[in-house]
Amino acid sequence: MRRSVFITGLAAALVLGMGVLGTGQKSSVASAQEKMSTMEVKIDNFSFGPVTLTVPVGTTVTWINRDDIPHTVVSTDDSKTFKSKVLDTDEKFSFTFSKAGTYPYFCSIHPKMTGKVIVQ
Amino acid sequence: MHPFDMKTVLFAKHAQHVVLIHFPIALFIIGVLFDFLAQWKKQRLLAAAAYYNLLVAAIATIPVVITGILAWQWELEGQKLKGILLMHLVMGCASSVLICVVWFIHMRTRRKQEEVLPGYRLPIEAVAVVIVALTGHLGGFLSGVNGPG
Repeated sequence: MRRSVFITGLAAALVLGMGVLGTGQKSSVASAQEKMSTMEVKIDNFSFGPVTLTVPVGTTVTWINRDDIPHTVVSTDDSKTFKSKVLDTDEKFSFTFSKAGTYPYFCSIHPKMTGKVIVQ
Repeated sequence: MHPFDMKTVLFAKHAQHVVLIHFPIALFIIGVLFDFLAQWKKQRLLAAAAYYNLLVAAIATIPVVITGILAWQWELEGQKLKGILLMHLVMGCASSVLICVVWFIHMRTRRKQEEVLPGYRLPIEAVAVVIVALTGHLGGFLSGVNGPG
């Protein structure tokens, strides 16, 4: 009788432990996916950082202006895939890349400021 | 960008507004300097030099204002400006008006063949120089002359 109670208890503990571990794994996978789906480009000292960003399809890239000067984020292609308004200090602009390809962009106020997003 | 596209000609890499702005600034400040010297030394030659500097400065403001407004309308699609950009626009317009007002005062005196220029022009010129300098400072800040590269 005691033995069967012990085995039942052990089995319950194992099932519970596996459940907890499974939930942990799920949450870590979810946070990894979240990390992958949003990336940040910092604008500071008249440059984009990182200059070249490689992301998977479906990623949302957020540009944040940490400079004292207003900047814009405008894609170089003729169709202007994305174009932000003028971003003052600490303002953000986001764009979700739904197609693979290379997306060069620049700041229309300071054309020397360029960057690139590679979507794979 | 197409090399023969008007927007490219005006704004690509060497933004024309940034280049052209140096002419009215330099001519106006030198013109005012000549005018103050003419007043102090009582020399007609210096007054004439001041007049022609102010005349060309007033003319040079026209393409500067046009390219500045076109940059706003084309590059920024005429969006509502704020902060430094708005301040630069307002002070730039004020500078252009003041440069033209100073030139007009000189021109009217010459046209009326009056011997003496009105004394009230001197404080107007001094204020105009300060506003032009501040506008240029903001423009330099915006264009990133202190930035890398």
